[in-house]
Amino acid sequence: MAGTKDLSRRNFLKRASVVSGAALMTSSQLWANEYSPNTPPNVPTWMRKTGQAVGAFPYGVPSPHESDIVRRTVPWLTASPISSVSFSPLHALKGIITPSSLHFERHHSGIPDVLPNEHRLMIHGLCDNPLILDMDDLVRFPSVSEIRFIECPANGGMEWRGPQMEALQFTHGMLSCSEWTGVRLSTLLAEVGVRSTAKWILAEGADGAAMGRSIPIGKALDDVLVAYAQNGEMIRPEQGYPIRLVNPGWEGNTSVKWLRRIELGDKPWHLREETSKYTDIMPDGSARQFTWVQESNSVITSICPENPLKNKGYHEIEGVAWSGRGKIKHVDVSFDGGISWKPAQLKGLVLDKALTRFSFNWTWDGSPKLIQSRAIDETGYVQPTLEQLRRVRGVNSIYHKNSIHTWQLSHTGEVKNVQRN
Amino acid sequence: MCKEIKFRWLAVVVAAFLSYGVYATETLRFHIGKSASVEEIEGWDIDVRPDGLGLPVGLGSASSGEILYEEKCASCHGSFGEGEGRWPKIAGGLGTLSDARPEKTVGSYWPYVSTLWDYIHRTMPFLQPQSLSDDEVYSLTAYILFLNDLVDEDFILTNENLPTIILPNRKQFVNDPRPDVHNTRCMMDCIAPGSNLSWHAANLNVTPKSLPDTLPKENDGETASFMVDASVIAVYRSSCAACHDAGVSGSPVLGDQVAWTKRLESVGLEGLYEHATNGYYGTNGYMPAKGGNLDLTELAVKAVVDYMGMMAR
Repeated sequence: MAGTKDLSRRNFLKRASVVSGAALMTSSQLWANEYSPNTPPNVPTWMRKTGQAVGAFPYGVPSPHESDIVRRTVPWLTASPISSVSFSPLHALKGIITPSSLHFERHHSGIPDVLPNEHRLMIHGLCDNPLILDMDDLVRFPSVSEIRFIECPANGGMEWRGPQMEALQFTHGMLSCSEWTGVRLSTLLAEVGVRSTAKWILAEGADGAAMGRSIPIGKALDDVLVAYAQNGEMIRPEQGYPIRLVNPGWEGNTSVKWLRRIELGDKPWHLREETSKYTDIMPDGSARQFTWVQESNSVITSICPENPLKNKGYHEIEGVAWSGRGKIKHVDVSFDGGISWKPAQLKGLVLDKALTRFSFNWTWDGSPKLIQSRAIDETGYVQPTLEQLRRVRGVNSIYHKNSIHTWQLSHTGEVKNVQRN
Repeated sequence: MCKEIKFRWLAVVVAAFLSYGVYATETLRFHIGKSASVEEIEGWDIDVRPDGLGLPVGLGSASSGEILYEEKCASCHGSFGEGEGRWPKIAGGLGTLSDARPEKTVGSYWPYVSTLWDYIHRTMPFLQPQSLSDDEVYSLTAYILFLNDLVDEDFILTNENLPTIILPNRKQFVNDPRPDVHNTRCMMDCIAPGSNLSWHAANLNVTPKSLPDTLPKENDGETASFMVDASVIAVYRSSCAACHDAGVSGSPVLGDQVAWTKRLESVGLEGLYEHATNGYYGTNGYMPAKGGNLDLTELAVKAVVDYMGMMAR
């Protein structure tokens, strides 16, 4: 399917570039020349028969014609698919909610098959009343529903040394946003009676990696959720079924999936995922530890390698912006590689630590462009350039690359991932 | 459960006022859940801290760790800790952290020995997590320290001496200084036009292209054997090579005629299909169902088994 689509797009681009000396043909002009029994004046075949019965798909599936909109992996990136990552198809998503099926994945030891009836959350350590909660218990607590993004801190990490991936899905796809429903962790911690000596929590998963992270008690009592639902249904297995932590604005790894245990302690645990991994190495060889927050970031999604332009004229430039420190305040766009900027419009809901969609009405004259977006959050932090990031952090820190991203639009409508030399 | 809640009621209320301290953001209690017993907590509380809190009493020598390491770790991490393929390198790399290509190993990068003990104990070996005894974990930790030239071969690691071992890089970790990079919201003439002429594109050809469409589909032909082509090799690379390239976890290496013939003679082709599709626990190792990639169709799995069998002929 994708092959055919790509081919027709490529043919189109080829034909388009032949005539590009003068003016681009519009796609409607081009498609109008191609005969189909389903286009006017013909009555489409699907109007002349009945379709699938009600209930044909008890749990609905996307149209088969959208089958190339899937999570994808980069096989050379990791040693084994059991400890790996898949990327959300950001180029094909609308609004701010990522369909649960397309939420990016990062597992350290595969997806465990957790039995909900036998799953337990244990909360213990520096508290007066260590508890074991089952799923029936958890859903009895007062619940909240909040829209939050989750981003792997390694998002964009393949691009520190230079442009590498020729697709938005791989440059930014370790990013998703859902409505999460669950219990505030502070509610559960009140239930166990946290002692004043407790300064940290350890959150641990029930997967083969028993993935664990230390989180300061202040954050744990602030906005962290123990979530059991995502976008209205029980959390998907690959997102932590039956429960996960949702740690808003902080690196995705701290939103521990398949959550089974929370321990209260007076010091951090320095587990593998907060020492050997998820630490940022600097040019002098030192390493930053506990770099939790995902700083303000943005990317244009409507024009990207997967979405080349088919015609000149009007285009709505769209993209997403997000900040782990709060709400997005402004997004600016540039068409000349950062020489000049124009404010974009924030569109729809503008929520704390959630994806925010931005829009800019634009008319393409067919000339090559260098298109960028730049997010500013409510703290006043301005998304930096890659040069600015590299000047401080070098190119080996892997994590937290939130720099302004550049798409190069050529006169044929093709889009490339580029960086300034 | 109800009995326990009643029993706890007074203690909980008192605790709420006495010991909740500065963190009392929620005073409401719901009296839901059951108290965790000492035994229940002991069974689940596996974490170990740098100061040794959480370490069970036990010991292990580097020399006994060597035997275990060869058996359980070397196939991924390499006999000298050098790392096979993209599996983590765990030894060497000292002094490379400010190089163009830093090598982050236990010896060169990790700040604490406790992290190593904790990690091996909670999740290694990769395919058999939490299968090692405490003393085996002490032995393996000691041997990895030995591979990093941090202890002698006759060294015995115990719960007492583990927290006293200082790793070379401990002092090189700093707390998060961000925001550390400051841009301004410039709107016009933000960079000199001349500095903006030279751009380079991602033309490395490393971006996966429509991989799901290249996978064999259930209706793509009559038997799996006809489908040994580039798409099958792609499946092998993405889902099988991690183990079968190097013989990880007792797996037969691609092209190893002896190893494959032995298996074919013992369980037959159908048996291999079965093991590959549904997973298999053997005496020497473990095969995860569909190589851990449950998205593969059964026919794709059969095709890739055919391919591996063909490579052994």
